Amino acid sequence: MKIEISEAITIEGGEISFAQLVEYSGLSEHELRELIDYGALSPREPVEPWSFDASALRAARIAERLRRDFELDANALSLVLSYVERIEELEAEMRALRAGVAR
Amino acid sequence: MKYKDYYATLGVDRGASEEEIKKAYRKLARKYHPDVSKEPNAEERFKEVAEAYETLKNPEKRAAYDQLGRYAPGQEFRPPPDWGDRFAGAETIFEDLDLADLFEGLTGRRRAGPRGEPGPQPGRDYEAAVRLSFEQAFDGAEIELDLSVVEYDEQGVPHRAPKRVKVRIPKGVTDGQQLRVPGKGATGANGGRDGDLYLDIQVEPHPLYRVAGQDLYLDLPLAPWEAALGATLTLPTPAGTVSLKVPPGTRAGQQLRLAGRGLARPGAGVGDLYAITHIVMPGVLDERQRTLFRELKEASNFNPRAHFEAEARNSQ
Repeated sequence: MKIEISEAITIEGGEISFAQLVEYSGLSEHELRELIDYGALSPREPVEPWSFDASALRAARIAERLRRDFELDANALSLVLSYVERIEELEAEMRALRAGVAR
Repeated sequence: MKYKDYYATLGVDRGASEEEIKKAYRKLARKYHPDVSKEPNAEERFKEVAEAYETLKNPEKRAAYDQLGRYAPGQEFRPPPDWGDRFAGAETIFEDLDLADLFEGLTGRRRAGPRGEPGPQPGRDYEAAVRLSFEQAFDGAEIELDLSVVEYDEQGVPHRAPKRVKVRIPKGVTDGQQLRVPGKGATGANGGRDGDLYLDIQVEPHPLYRVAGQDLYLDLPLAPWEAALGATLTLPTPAGTVSLKVPPGTRAGQQLRLAGRGLARPGAGVGDLYAITHIVMPGVLDERQRTLFRELKEASNFNPRAHFEAEARNSQ
């Protein structure tokens, strides 16, 4: 049997619309709007129709998982998301520092 | 089907209240959730805990679970004869199912539109870990994944089925990155869209190259005379060897940049490769070499610790 080959797409880079974010993240439109209100997700421009950096999908999927697994409300979620983002930035910085240090 | 003791997984009594179950779950989730836990096997443990909670938090599912009877964890069992009729649908074949699939099916069957007719249901997303060699990540790769997934037939009865997916991984992916394969999740029902497959990328470390973003770092050992006099060297890069000019007077720990020799990522340009200089002494010096170093010592008034002396003067 021949299997058709599928393309894997990077989530970072490019742009994602609000409607796509609703479709792919597993969060409802209402929940996403709340996360935007709390500043956990930032549209590129404040006016609707909103669009986002494609990396917002990763954040929204993490939010969906945390909401489900920890039963968090939007306020708590946005706080946790900001920590997750900071941890990811620090980890990237640490990787860069470690890579740049002679062994 | 193998029995799982959901109460034991959460560490609660069979008669535990909903509040006790919730509390036990939250405590374990805090400990094992892959987003917060550093415990080994956290993900696996969390899956077990989440599966147990998913069933026990819902009174109907919990009742259905209690009606299965009690067995030892891992013991093969069959639900009581009327169990399928009452909870899961008479057509359910238990042998090829996992307990979690069975209980997930219990809610899946009840989803319906406003008038009770089944509405469009998007397919679930799947997630799979993919381990790539450094070379595969650098060049891109075609990989085949064998997934074991739960599919529902028209009656909403769950079946576990193998699914083989062939995926092209774009070049330039890095450890920890996530990729999306559109439409390769579970099939949507009643006109709902198909789910997506998410790939969690792990890249094996390379003995020479270290990755930071799109840049690569490589340790470049130099002999003292190469650092002093300069040299033209052949340097390996993932895309083939290049010639590198080391300038005279190169110090240890300098980063010599080779533009465009890092990871190329579609739509995001290409990174650089940095060669970090080390100055390495030969292990054993013969008499002639020692003589030459002695001559160098006589000829030079270089003091690498001049700043120590300035500091010592200031503190007197």
